[in-house]
Order: sequence, then C-alpha cells, then structure tokens
Amino acid sequence: MFANFRHSMAWLHTWCGLALGFVLMVVFFFGSLSVFDREIDRWAIPDTRFEPQPMPSFDKMLRPVFETMQPDAAARAATAPLVDGPLPERFDTPRSWGAYTTHRDPVLLLFAGYEVPGAKDHETAIYANRTVDPRTGEALPTDRLKLGSEFFYPLHYSLSLDWKNVGYWIVGFSALMMLMALVTGVIMHRKIFRELFTFRPKKTTQRSMLDMHNLTGVVALPFHFFFAFTGLVIFAYIYFPVTHTQLAPLHDRHEQIEAKETGLPHDRAGVAAPMASVDAMVAEAQRRWAAKGMGGAVGYLNVQHVGDANGYVSVYRAGTDRVQLTGEGIHFKLSTGELLREDPPPTLVARINEFLTGLHLQHFKHWLLRWLYVLGGLSGCACIATGLFFFVEKRKRHHAKHGVSGARVVDALAVTVVTGMLVATLSLLIANRLLPDLMPAGWPLRGAMEKYCFWGAWVLAAVHGWWRTASVAEGRLAPAWREQCLAIAVLAVVAPVLNWITTGDHLLRTIGSGYWPVAGADLFMLASSALAFMAARKLQARAARPVTASNVKLEAKHA
Amino acid sequence: MTSATLTYRHIASRTAVAILGGYAFTWGIIALGIALMYSAGMAFHDAEHLSYIIGLLVFLVAFLVAFAAQGLGRVALVLVGGGAAMTAAAWWVQSLIIGAGA
Repeated sequence: MFANFRHSMAWLHTWCGLALGFVLMVVFFFGSLSVFDREIDRWAIPDTRFEPQPMPSFDKMLRPVFETMQPDAAARAATAPLVDGPLPERFDTPRSWGAYTTHRDPVLLLFAGYEVPGAKDHETAIYANRTVDPRTGEALPTDRLKLGSEFFYPLHYSLSLDWKNVGYWIVGFSALMMLMALVTGVIMHRKIFRELFTFRPKKTTQRSMLDMHNLTGVVALPFHFFFAFTGLVIFAYIYFPVTHTQLAPLHDRHEQIEAKETGLPHDRAGVAAPMASVDAMVAEAQRRWAAKGMGGAVGYLNVQHVGDANGYVSVYRAGTDRVQLTGEGIHFKLSTGELLREDPPPTLVARINEFLTGLHLQHFKHWLLRWLYVLGGLSGCACIATGLFFFVEKRKRHHAKHGVSGARVVDALAVTVVTGMLVATLSLLIANRLLPDLMPAGWPLRGAMEKYCFWGAWVLAAVHGWWRTASVAEGRLAPAWREQCLAIAVLAVVAPVLNWITTGDHLLRTIGSGYWPVAGADLFMLASSALAFMAARKLQARAARPVTASNVKLEAKHA
Repeated sequence: MTSATLTYRHIASRTAVAILGGYAFTWGIIALGIALMYSAGMAFHDAEHLSYIIGLLVFLVAFLVAFAAQGLGRVALVLVGGGAAMTAAAWWVQSLIIGAGA
C-alpha cells in the first residue's frame, strides 16, 4: 500500500502524530508543571507556605494521629462493591501506617490501610489519607485541593480519567506513539545535525513552523525519547499485568520465598503485641546510613501489621542525593525494636530500573536539573504544537479550495489544547484565589469547585476556538490564536496580583525573603504573560500581511 | 503522496496488526522473559523489570514493522503466532518451576 519504506514512516508520523498529538500536548504540559508540583501546592494553599520539615516524632506526634484516621466516604464507596455484606462503621485492624515526605514538602502525607472484613479478596485494603502540619500534627482542611500534586500531576499520567484506568491506557498508547513519532521523524529527515541550526522565522509560516518543529524535536530528542520510554516502564505493570494474571502463581511463590528469606512476615500472626519506640528505630536506621556515608533524612516510614506480633517497621531514606529512586530500607521488629533486615545493595538490573524510574520521577535535589526538565517538557509541547500548526498551514488553502473542513477542525482542536489549556490552567489558579474559604451549604467542596472552573474554562476556550477558526476554512489565519494569547496575557497577570491581594505575598516580599516556591510561580506566570502578549502582536502583524503566491508553495517531502 | 492506493481497509488492517499483534507479541516476550530469567536464578522483580524494558522496545519495533513491511499477513502471523507461542511457553516454564518447588 505504501510506495516505499520512507513513505510509510512519513505516513505514520503525520497521522498518528496528529491523532495523539492532542493527548501528548496535555501530557507534556502538565508533566512540565508537575516538576514543580509541590511548589504549585504552596501557591494554592497559602497556609502551607513554610519551609520543608523533617519527619516528626512517630511516638509523640504521628501515632496518636494515625489512631484517629478512618476512611472517608469516597474510599468507603469505592470499597463497598468488593465486599459481601455491609461495611463496618469503623475499621479496627490496621494493616499498615505510612508517612511520606520529600525535601520540598513542608506538609506530611499520612496513609492508614485497614483490613476489610468480608472482602471477596483477602488482600483488599481500605485507605484513609490525611495531610498534616508536621510542626503541630494538625490536619489540613480536607476540602483543599493540592493543585500541583493532586491535580496537575494526575492529569499528566492519567488525564484524571480513573474509570477502569482508561486514562492510563490512553496516555500509555500516546507515549508509544511519541516514541514512534521520534523514530519516524528521524527516518524522514536524516539530516539531523543540520536541523539543529535551522530556523528561518522570516520565511513563510509553514516553513518556519516546520523548522521549529524539527529544531525542538531534535534539540531535546534524547529527553523526549527517555521520558516517553521511562513513563511506559513506570506503568508497565498496568499495561502488561502479566505477573498478576498469567504468572500470578509464580509471583505468589516468589512472595512466600521472599517473606521467608527477609524475615519480614507477609501476614499477621493474629496475636496482639505492644509497640516499641519507633523513634529509637529511626535513630538506629540513621546511624546505620551515616556509617555508610549516606545522608539520613527519612523519606518514608511504614509500620506493617500494626499492633500484631508479626508487626515490623520499615524506614526508608529520602533519596535526594542521587538520581535513582532508592530507599536503603532498614527493617525492625515492631514489638521489640530488634533489627530484622537491612536491604542488600541493589542488583545491576535493579539499579538500571531505579535509574530509569528515578530519572523520570526526580526525587533528587538539583534545582538546575529541575529547570532543565521544565524546558525539556516545554520544548516537547513546542514540538507537538508546531507539528499541528504545520499540518494546518500545509493544507488549509488546498482544503479551502476544495471545500474540505479538515484543516479547520485540526486548527480548532489545536487552539483548544495549546492556548485553551493555558487559559484553563490560569483560570484554575484564579478560581483558587477567588473562591471563598468555605463554600456555602449545598455547594460542592472548594477543591471540586476549582476543578469545575478548570474544565468549564477549557470548554469555553474550545467553543471560542471553534467559533474563531472559521476563517481557516477560507485559507486564512484564525483570529482565535491572537485572542486566546491576549486572554493568557491578561489572566497570567491577574493570578499573581490576586495572590498578592489575598495573601499579602507580593513579589518584593517573596523574593526579598527568598521564598522561591511562590516567587517562582508568580515570576513564571508574568513571563508567560509577556510571551503571550508578544505572540499576540506577532499574530496581528501576520494577519495583516497579504497572502502571496510564494507562501503557498508546498513541500513534497511531507505526507 | 500515493494516497489513491491507501484505502480505509488497508489502514484499519495495518493499525489492527500493529496494535493488537504488537501487544500480543510483547505480552509473550514479557511473560516468557520473566519465566525464563526467574528460572535461571534472577531475582523475580529483576526479571520482571528487565522483561518490561525489553518488551516495550520490542513493541515499538513491532509497531513500526507492521507499517513498514510489504506483506501484512506474514507480519500478523509472526506477531500473533509468536506471541501466542511465547505465552504458552511461559505457562509451561511456570508449571515446571511450581511443580519442582512443591
């Protein structure tokens, strides 16, 4: 069906790139924002604007908090179908208590998992989550949405479509198509090195869009490939659940052998036992890490089989000093504090895997690298967006002549995912500053209202995009682009100003005191505003320029 | 572009073989990879991770081959047949390991 190999690759690049480019745009953009998810959380929840804290005392502070934690209504509703008969009012048998923090988190995330009596699968657990201020142990209000870590981040990897994991599958397939587009893109162009130095902004829109597409694709080619690939590796167990289906017997066998070898019991003994001091175990773990010359900040603390004779405590290091996702876990017997096991040094394969996943999830402490990630992600957005622009520019006059609406449809969708996504994101931040602290009775919770504002603004941007791209069907530039750029320019100033008015944290204060989470978010928005304004002016100049015959020349190489 | 020769049927069959055939083949690679490497003494999760890393790269290649190859039937046969054969082999290896351990 295809004339030759290169033709088939070009066809794949164009059409699969088009079909999934819209999803990839969302994934790359919110991935870029997720690099600073904790900082965005601080911007969105002013009560948490204080310095990151170390793991607090378990015995004095965390244990009493854990003992009061119970699953919320949403967790109960999700668990109800997994049980024969009704759920109990209270869950009394904690399977595990976990506390998690990072070097960028002033707040501490706690989870308590309980056994579910009458569950069809005895492995079923129900979880209660709580975010606390580690200085006091007080809980944060539950209706606050952590915009960065609880909204932008899930959008990045699952589009927030949780039903049957369908979002994960769409993102996973898109990541595979990203890899495909990179490989086929290289095959199509061949002259990779030359693309690095080719950008002709003064030529036709079509030509300069293609230059920009190639440039942004090639400059960050290893970055794009690596991130799409490691993203797939991280969630491979969802896409290929081999060891939970076909090879489940092998997996069960491994778990039993492992429990025997490590001395960490897989199940409860059913015999109640008191708890020794967990703080003393943490201190011992830190002593052992120090003896190996490693930093001693605790990242994750887990108590398994709480209150049982088989209970044990696992203390993991916060791996901020290396790329790999490491833990160097040390495990103690819960009832006595006796050392059960120190995780052995990782094997070669484990180190490769930790490196791949760690490179993607970036728990390390390196601000320059973090910014390079943002730039890499945004160059991915630029590459995808210019690919879409090129598609439209190349076809719109031809389509206009033949009365086909393809170019217009693509342009309207491109407006929606490129500028419309920014409009929605900024609207969310603005809603976050404007909504009342406590929503009136009968309204959805504050966090839910913020989400509605985001989706509502995005739908409006899509409607506007469709309406104001009508001129593409006549072969001209769509005014939607300029208008949404202007909207972004305005909204990106409104959000920092509202932050100032509602919290008093203006830029002079945040920069003066070196509080970069909020100063950085404000500065980033102001810079975006300036860029959007410049883009709007350029678009206006382009629109005023007459269409000449030389602009229409098509390039045969691209399918 | 010779789009005159590109029919919807062509595109649909290529896409189906690329996605479904690629998936079946990758599943087979991962399942057999885990079973074989584990039986050869590698730690279970190491075998799992390494198989995922290899399997995902194989999926990418299989996807491209499904569009690049001349004869689609042969590609479909290799991907689906190979995937099924490797999946079956993984089952067999698993039953040997479980049988030996019991």
